[in-house]
Amino acid sequence: MENRQAIKAENLVKTFGKGDSMVEVINGASFQVNKGELVALIAPSGAGKTTLLMMIGCVLEPTSGSIWLGDEKVYENRWLTKETRKIRREKIGFIFQAHYLIPFLTILDNITLVPQTNGISKEESEKNAIALLRYFDIEDKAKSMPSSLSGGQNQRAAIARALANRPQIILADEPTAALDIKRSVDVVKMLKKIAVDQDVAVIMVTHDEAMLPLCDRILKIEDKKVVSHSVSENKETGIL
Amino acid sequence: MINLAQKDIQHTLGKFIVTAMGVGMLLGIVLIMIGVYRGMIIDAQVLLDDLKVDLWVVQKDTLGPFAEASRVHEDLKNSIGIIEGVKKAEGITFQNLQLPSKAGPVRVFAVGFDPYGAIDPINPKKIIAGRGLERDHYEMVVTDKTGFHVGDTLHLGRDDYKVVGVTHGTVSSGGDPLVYVSLKDAQELQFLYANTRIRADRARGIKTLNSHMVNAVVATVRSGYSVNEVAEKIRRFKYKSVYTAEEEKTILTKNLIKMASKQIGMFTVILVIVSTIIIALIIYTMTLEKIKEIAIMKLIGIPNGMIIKMIMQETLLMGFLAFISANIFAHLIYAKFPKRVVLEIPDAWILFFVVIIASLLASLVGVKKVISADPSEAIGG
Ligand SMILES: Nc1ncnc2c1ncn2[C@@H]1O[C@H](COP(=O)(O)OP(=O)(O)OP(=O)(O)O)[C@@H](O)[C@H]1O
Ligand SMILES: [Mg+2]
Repeated sequence: MENRQAIKAENLVKTFGKGDSMVEVINGASFQVNKGELVALIAPSGAGKTTLLMMIGCVLEPTSGSIWLGDEKVYENRWLTKETRKIRREKIGFIFQAHYLIPFLTILDNITLVPQTNGISKEESEKNAIALLRYFDIEDKAKSMPSSLSGGQNQRAAIARALANRPQIILADEPTAALDIKRSVDVVKMLKKIAVDQDVAVIMVTHDEAMLPLCDRILKIEDKKVVSHSVSENKETGIL
Repeated sequence: MINLAQKDIQHTLGKFIVTAMGVGMLLGIVLIMIGVYRGMIIDAQVLLDDLKVDLWVVQKDTLGPFAEASRVHEDLKNSIGIIEGVKKAEGITFQNLQLPSKAGPVRVFAVGFDPYGAIDPINPKKIIAGRGLERDHYEMVVTDKTGFHVGDTLHLGRDDYKVVGVTHGTVSSGGDPLVYVSLKDAQELQFLYANTRIRADRARGIKTLNSHMVNAVVATVRSGYSVNEVAEKIRRFKYKSVYTAEEEKTILTKNLIKMASKQIGMFTVILVIVSTIIIALIIYTMTLEKIKEIAIMKLIGIPNGMIIKMIMQETLLMGFLAFISANIFAHLIYAKFPKRVVLEIPDAWILFFVVIIASLLASLVGVKKVISADPSEAIGG
C-alpha cells in the first residue's frame, strides 16, 4: 500500500534559553499528518503552536527528536541537511495571520519568486501564478502592488504564493484570525479543497472553534505533548 | 529571474535618486578639491613660463624669491650681462600689493621689471586690452580678474597709476592675480610702503637700506652655449646662487606640491571616508527598513545569495549614481571658484574606483544584517 505519510514527528523537544531562565515549550511530541489531510492545531496562547509549526517547517531547530517530511528524514537531533532553506522553498508553503507579501514586488512577482528561485522558467511560473490568481479570483491584480489590494485580496494572494511551489506540506499559522467569519469559512474550505485536489498535508493553527468542523482531525498540545482528537470527539466533549 | 534590487529601487525611486544626488554633491566636492590642486600646479608655472628666461641669479645661499626672501643689487645685472654666453640680463622684483577699489582692497602679486630693458615678463599673447608697459613710471598692466579696466586710475602710495593694459590668465604661484609695474615704481612702492617703518627704524638707529635692490636677476643664454656651463661660470665669479629655469620651476612646484598635496590630500581622504560612512549608513537604514521582508524571504526559502545580491547591486548603483551626479555637480560649479580649478578625466576615474570600493565596503554592513536576520522572528509582531 502507498505510504500516505506527509509529516511525522517523534519525541520532539524544544527548550528556549539556558540554566535558570530555561523554558521547556514542547517535550516529547509525536504525531503524524497524511497527504490530503487538513488538520487543525489548537492550544491556548503561548502553548507552543507557532514553535511546533516552525520546527516542522525547518525554520526553527528543535532541541531533540526526529522529523520526517514525506519519506525524507530531515531531523534527528540535528538537521540532516545543511540546506533547510532548500527544503522550505521546495516542499513547504507558509501562510500566516498577516499576508507578509514583499511590498516592493507585484502580486505576480511575489507569487513567482520562489518557483523562479527553484529554477522554473519565468514563463511557466507566471502561467501557473495566473492560474492560481484566477482560482482565487484576483487575476486582475497580477500587476498590482500589495499596498493597493484589500486585506482579503492580499490574504488570498498570500495563499496563492504558498501554493506556487507545489508544496507537499502547507503550514498555516492562524490564517483566518484577521478575517470575518464568512471569509474564514471560505479560506478553510479552500485549504481543504487544496489538500484534496493537490494531495497536500495542511496543518492550520486556529483559535476559532467554528473552523474545527471543517477540518479532518484536531491536534492539541496538552502537557507539552501533541494529542490527536477526532472532530466528532470535539463536538461531544468540547476540547477547546 | 526577478531582479530584487531593480524592483526595490523602482518602488522607492525618488528617494533613491535624491539620496544618491546628496552623496554625489559630497563627492563633487572631492572632485573640486582635486581640481583646486591641479589648478595650483598650473598656476604656479604661469609666471615662469611667461618669463622665458634660462637662468635665475638670486641671493647667495637662498633658493630664490619663490621659496624665501632674496635680495641682490640691481647693478648685478650689468656684471652678469658681460659674462660670456649670457645674452640678456635684467633685474626683477616680486611683491604683494593691495590695490584700492570700491569693493575693498584687491590683493595682487606685482612683478616689477624695466620696461626699457631686454626682458619683458608680459606674454603679449595674454594681453586682451590695451598694451604692455612703455614708460618707467605710473603705468600698470593688470589681470582681468582684478576687475580693473584700461584707463582706470589707481592711487598707490603717493602717486596715481594708470591701467594701460589688461591680461588674461596670469596668476602668481599663490594664485593671486598678477599686475606688472616698472622696476622703478616697484622699488618705490616697496620703499613707500615701509615709510612709517623706516621712520621707526631711524629712531632706533637702523640705517635705511637703499631701494636699488631687486629680488633676482634673470638672464637668457646665447645659442650655442650650455645653460649649465654659464650657470657654473656665474656661480664661480659672482658668488651667487644660480638656478636654471627648470630648477627654479622645480623649487617652486616641489614646495607647493608637497604642501598642497598634503593639505588637499587630507581633505580628500577625509571627504572620501565621510562619504563611505554616509553610504554605509544609508545602506544600513535601507536594509533595516526591509529587514522584515528579508526575514520573510529567508523564511520562504530565498537563498542569502539572492538577498545579498540585492543589497550589493543597490549599493553599487547608489555609488555609481552618486559618482555621476558628483561629476555633473563639479562641472556646474567649478568655474565659479575664484582660483583656477582644473577637472581632469583621470582624476574622475580614480574617484570612480574609490567610490566603487567604498560602496562595496559600505554594502558589507547591509550584508551582515541580512545574514544575521532570523527568519523565525519574521512572523512575530
Ligand atoms: N525565541 C524565543 N525565546 C524564548 N522563548 C520563546 C521564544 N519563542 C517562543 N518562546 C516561548 O515559547 C512559548 C510558545 O510560544 P509560541 O509562539 O509557540 O506560542 P503560540 O502557541 O503560538 O501562542 P499564540 O497563540 O499566542 O500565537 C511561549 O511561552 C514563548 O514565550
Ligand atoms: Mg503563535
